[in-house]
Amino acid sequence: MAISTHQPWEDPAFESELASYTSNVLRLFVEGLERRQEGEVLDVGPVCGSNITFFAQRVKKLYVCDMFLLLDRNRRNGLAFNRVWQHLDYPPQSFDGILLWDLVDRLDDTEVGRLVELYENMLRPGGIVMGIVLGKQAIPQAVNSFVIGDGFRLYLRPQHHLNLPFYLRQNREVLALLAPFRPVKSFIYRNGIREFLFQRD
Amino acid sequence: MLRKTKSVENNNMPAPSMGEKTIIGEQISIEGCIQGKGDLVIDGSIKGSIELEEHHLTVGPKGQVEADIHADNVTISGRMTGNIKAGCKVEITKEADFNGEIKAKRISVEDGAYLKAAIELEREPQKKAAPEREPLTLVSETDKSK
Repeated sequence: MAISTHQPWEDPAFESELASYTSNVLRLFVEGLERRQEGEVLDVGPVCGSNITFFAQRVKKLYVCDMFLLLDRNRRNGLAFNRVWQHLDYPPQSFDGILLWDLVDRLDDTEVGRLVELYENMLRPGGIVMGIVLGKQAIPQAVNSFVIGDGFRLYLRPQHHLNLPFYLRQNREVLALLAPFRPVKSFIYRNGIREFLFQRD
Repeated sequence: MLRKTKSVENNNMPAPSMGEKTIIGEQISIEGCIQGKGDLVIDGSIKGSIELEEHHLTVGPKGQVEADIHADNVTISGRMTGNIKAGCKVEITKEADFNGEIKAKRISVEDGAYLKAAIELEREPQKKAAPEREPLTLVSETDKSK
């Protein structure tokens, strides 16, 4: 794992490739949820109106708890991490799916471990987790939300109000951190973005 | 301070309830049940319940509400804890800090809003997603190792 000191690159061609891509894992995640009728899903943010509408129209209930904003507030106020995790106070086995997005990129290994413990508790057996991890060439200048467009296309929208560290990890490190879950599918895109679909047995 | 404004003025017609809005000012705190037939803007502090069927409730940036709300449209720009049942739309602006449940036909949320919410929207009949054309940018892990 490496903490990035990478400066924003200025190659417009690369930026446009990074700005959007068609997500296979999102499609698999949605198909998985559609198989579980009346599903309940947790989205940990960053909050995005179109994503809320997208999922709220497909599941029985969508839960949103913006961990990115809470982490940012915590950092700004110099508060301990455990104050953030107490917001994920959902009862055991509450969800059929969890949208992790790239939250792992913003946490050190210890905190990812704590998050995974919570997710394992909150997810129902057979429940799925969608995660995104940015690669070396995709280190962002800002935290992004992944805005869902037509045809499962994801548009990266910078969230300049959020200031969080970035932890670059190899695939094996990501898989090891999320070891309590079974990896179902993973994809690497040319823009450096990696996507993972995990399942709780 | 409670103020009533009329955005529609027409002396030849019976007083319309549409277009009237009541403002609960910053210095006002109310505890209890608010019911009404007009739009309401809250810049003060409310604890209890708010019933504004067929009307618009706005919690302004300085508003603090701890209540269950039933209205046609709801806009939250301030701090709110409680449940919202909206006949039509809920709008959460970037200044908002919302904690509770939302039931509505539609919702819009601005980037930057804090939301801890359980959301139920009126669901559209299931549409089958059109099959995607083969993604060009994608290489699966297995393909990559070949």
